[in-house]
Amino acid sequence: MTDQLSFPDAVQWAVPFFIAAILVEFLWIAVKGKGGRYETRDAVTSLVMGAGNIASGFLLGFIAYGFFMWLWQITPLDLGTSIPVIILCFVLDDLRYYWVHRFGHRIRWVWASHVNHHSSQHYNLTTALRQTWTYTFTFMMVVRAPLILLGFHPAMVLFVGGLNLIYQFWIHTEAIGKMPRWFEAVMNTPSHHRAHHGRNARYLDCNYAGVFIIWDKIFGTFVPEQENDRVDYGLVHNIGTFNPLRVAFHEWVGIWRDATQPGLSPRERLAYCFAPPGYSHDGSRQNSEQIKARHLARHPEDRGTPGFEQFEAKSHNTKAKQA
Amino acid sequence: MPLEILLVLVIGGILAITALLHLSGRSRVRELTQQTARSEWMRHAPDDVIVDVTIAHDMRSALVRTEAGIGLLWSFGADTVARHLQDFDRINHPEGFRIRFHDFGTPNALVRLDEFERPHWQNLMDTA
Repeated sequence: MTDQLSFPDAVQWAVPFFIAAILVEFLWIAVKGKGGRYETRDAVTSLVMGAGNIASGFLLGFIAYGFFMWLWQITPLDLGTSIPVIILCFVLDDLRYYWVHRFGHRIRWVWASHVNHHSSQHYNLTTALRQTWTYTFTFMMVVRAPLILLGFHPAMVLFVGGLNLIYQFWIHTEAIGKMPRWFEAVMNTPSHHRAHHGRNARYLDCNYAGVFIIWDKIFGTFVPEQENDRVDYGLVHNIGTFNPLRVAFHEWVGIWRDATQPGLSPRERLAYCFAPPGYSHDGSRQNSEQIKARHLARHPEDRGTPGFEQFEAKSHNTKAKQA
Repeated sequence: MPLEILLVLVIGGILAITALLHLSGRSRVRELTQQTARSEWMRHAPDDVIVDVTIAHDMRSALVRTEAGIGLLWSFGADTVARHLQDFDRINHPEGFRIRFHDFGTPNALVRLDEFERPHWQNLMDTA
């Protein structure tokens, strides 16, 4: 079994490309007068979050790597490092990304780490770099365990994960409208990912894909960007700070305050930690389903359109039962 | 990549992009009008019904009276942030009021008011 295997840290090597691409996108927007917006403090916050993400990798990366190497010691399987194996690893790791990302929006403990990526009201290439500092504390590294137990070397798994993140960089832009139809059908694109970053009721909890949008189509979470519902970027309750420390930790502080308030049952305390974002024991907040339902109450004409299909199905079921 | 080169790239890149954005006028703060304050409030709180809007003279804050209560909308870079005034402290500030929200992600907002606006806003907030 191969213990010592070396792959380049793709994300670090991509840093010069990130900087150059941001400059190109900014100049494009400045010259064309369309294709996105830049704001100084928003962009600086995103860039500092990106730098902090790399730093947190240096400081805490050993925890996940140690866990992966332990798994590698106990698995009897070794698929090697041939090109087909690397490609297969990339595809399966993208499936892993889809589920981790979905958990990141549906489990508050994981959302606390991921929320900062959605905290900008802008959508440009700097937003791509607004990354978490606290991923290690979500323990989502366990979702990679099956890959390693199947015989993919940890270094290879981390390498393809880096490629996945690099792919996702370029889709954080309004400068690109739609890609060719065949590409939009298979791959994650700026259009699909713009919808994912929307705070509009229609776009909540959709398009979790990293590289291949097919996962969303398979698991029923795909919502195409609509021309008649322009994406409004940010959080349902936008935060009012550019301070990177507050951006990185605000949801963790929120969990602490909610779960430790007096008079709650143990079940309610756990729900504040692990239920979908928007949970409250007294009904004072709204989760994404409730936000969608409220939207449909105001805009019944949207019932059954992309992003609201589940309500159409429910009303059909209700009518069928009544019949 | 050697750490020292990575550090130079990251720090140099952030500084260069910051300078470029600032010098090209991307640090301008959003100015509110009656119309934009209303549309921005409805963007943040789509269930609300607005009664009236009071905009500060510097056009960076607006007090929004709704059927559900009163709220504060303020410029946040090129965008806005809004909060219902339910759990907050109003602290006197030489330029107006500082509103503290008891929220780690939205700690406070500085509302700049002149001597004529201050008692009016104070009165409106006291009814919140």
